[in-house]
Amino acid sequence: MIENRPISTLVSHLVLVIGILVVALPIYYTFIASTHTSIEIVRPPMSLLPGSALVENYGEAIGGGVERVVGVSLERLLFNSTVVALAIAIGKIAISFLSAFAIVFFRFPLKMLFFWMIFVTLMLPVEVRILPTYKVIVDLGMIDTYAGLTLPLMASATATFLFRQFFLTIPGELVEAARIDNAGPFRFMRDILLPLSATNIAALFVILFIYGWTQYLWPLLVTNDAKMNTIVIGLKRMVDFADASTPWNYVMVTAILAIIPPIVVVVLMQRWFVKGLVETEK
Amino acid sequence: MAEITLNNVRKSYGTVEAIKGVSLDIADGEFVVLVGPSGCGKSTLLRMIAGLEGITGGDILIGSRRVNDVEPAERDIAMVFQNYALYPHMTVRQNLAYGLKNRNTPPAEIERRIAETSKTLEIAQYLDRKPRQLSGGQRQRVAMGRAIVREPAAFLFDEPLSNLDAKLRGQMRIEIKRLQRALGTTSVYVTHDQMEAMTLADRLVVVNAGRIEQVGTPLELYEKPATTFVATFIGSPSMNLLEGTDTSSGWSLSADVPRPEGRYMLGVRPEDLHLAPPDGRPFAFQATAHIDGIELVGAESLLHGRLADGTPLVFRVSGRSRSEIGDEVTVGASADALHMFDADGRRHA
Repeated sequence: MIENRPISTLVSHLVLVIGILVVALPIYYTFIASTHTSIEIVRPPMSLLPGSALVENYGEAIGGGVERVVGVSLERLLFNSTVVALAIAIGKIAISFLSAFAIVFFRFPLKMLFFWMIFVTLMLPVEVRILPTYKVIVDLGMIDTYAGLTLPLMASATATFLFRQFFLTIPGELVEAARIDNAGPFRFMRDILLPLSATNIAALFVILFIYGWTQYLWPLLVTNDAKMNTIVIGLKRMVDFADASTPWNYVMVTAILAIIPPIVVVVLMQRWFVKGLVETEK
Repeated sequence: MAEITLNNVRKSYGTVEAIKGVSLDIADGEFVVLVGPSGCGKSTLLRMIAGLEGITGGDILIGSRRVNDVEPAERDIAMVFQNYALYPHMTVRQNLAYGLKNRNTPPAEIERRIAETSKTLEIAQYLDRKPRQLSGGQRQRVAMGRAIVREPAAFLFDEPLSNLDAKLRGQMRIEIKRLQRALGTTSVYVTHDQMEAMTLADRLVVVNAGRIEQVGTPLELYEKPATTFVATFIGSPSMNLLEGTDTSSGWSLSADVPRPEGRYMLGVRPEDLHLAPPDGRPFAFQATAHIDGIELVGAESLLHGRLADGTPLVFRVSGRSRSEIGDEVTVGASADALHMFDADGRRHA
């Protein structure tokens, strides 16, 4: 804004600060809890200041504490989640990119039918088709595998449409110039379409990575072996633990560690993310 | 280097016929301009030569090779597009190199050609910039460079100057002509701007409604338009056309001027109409017009008038006009400045 009105600046900053507090307070509280011993956590009121057990909590949780509770190490949970989130993000982008490429730049029989079939999958998220999908994965022997964890989540109509919309804005002359420059479909895709879509891909990657990271229902269903749990499931199972009192300090440590990778992805990709959603540079 | 031959070429979109049988021979090294109003099919024709549009009927030959079913990349042509169509994510150098790289040209050869082309077009200092960092004129040069660097058999230009401002357009026009002469590459150029067409063309092809109206040198078309369409399309301001029966009011034609039987059209260019006979001989054609508009365009004035029956008549006088709006003026032209067309618009002998 060009005008300089102190009151409105103050108000807008105040609103923003309140917003940040609302969002950040639970995270802060989780962090604080992760620095107290489990006895301190369950004894109300819990302090709002960091406790003394930060080093022990993190050290013990990573060094076998979590493994004793749920039978799988924290590193393994983080690793599983990373694999699943990456596979879903990359797989979705690859499949959507290719299907949008086919739909926009090629003429083939029943093109509209395929287009609408992709469209219809928007109405069939995993939750709706969970029984048949589960049966298929069981029959394919994919229970407790990364393929079973990720494949059913990969097809994405949303990403296909995003790419389609972007491809439609690419001027026809550019496509024709490439044809004259002896760029066949594959070269055109690799040399022109892919670099031009870079910001879109980055934005999608952020969204899809977080989508994959936070998956709950499907990983819960398709993993029996604790070794294949994602961190979200691991966290849930720690809280579930009925025989003994829940080790809240480990839960909080795990929660904090579970937040970090998505935050890193967002922070690193932020510039591209905004560019991909806002910019149309041609 | 190659000649291009179109043999009764047709193009239909469903039941709509866009190109209705066009035959044209373009000699090796010739600069041919396709000109016509928008929607006449000139761009479609060019894109058919390029291979970007399919052909419904007829044959296209480039250098005596029939290319009807040959991919655009294998036709040995290069095209300059209206919006330049530069690859936005590549530097100028990469833009120039892309077509060569895709044809497996050795890197040393690519380097040599880029150096040569960028020197000819004076774009050497921009080689490492992206297209968006260039001005319109510079982008235009790069687009030309991308065509030249390939050393193709023919250049195809699709209204390449229409996005530039008037001054730059004039400069680029001269430059394109100079370049084409120096390289001697067969060129087909599409434009709707008849000024551009006149100045660039070795031969002009006037296209109208999917057909060729007339082919000839710019001067031929200007001096001897074959149809009333060409007559009014070429030349600015366009030729005056008067519908003639011998009893038309407001103008007269001396009896010794040959004319078609019955109804006919008489054409006379604004620059051929004079207030007084330049050579002292009496006018063969004379018209009395009521002036209703004067345009002063620097060295000359354009006077817009109407005859008694309402037909508009434009004529040109040098310097400032002494007439004023509302005046009645009599102008005339000599017999050899008159163009006679018969009732269906064809030139009368």
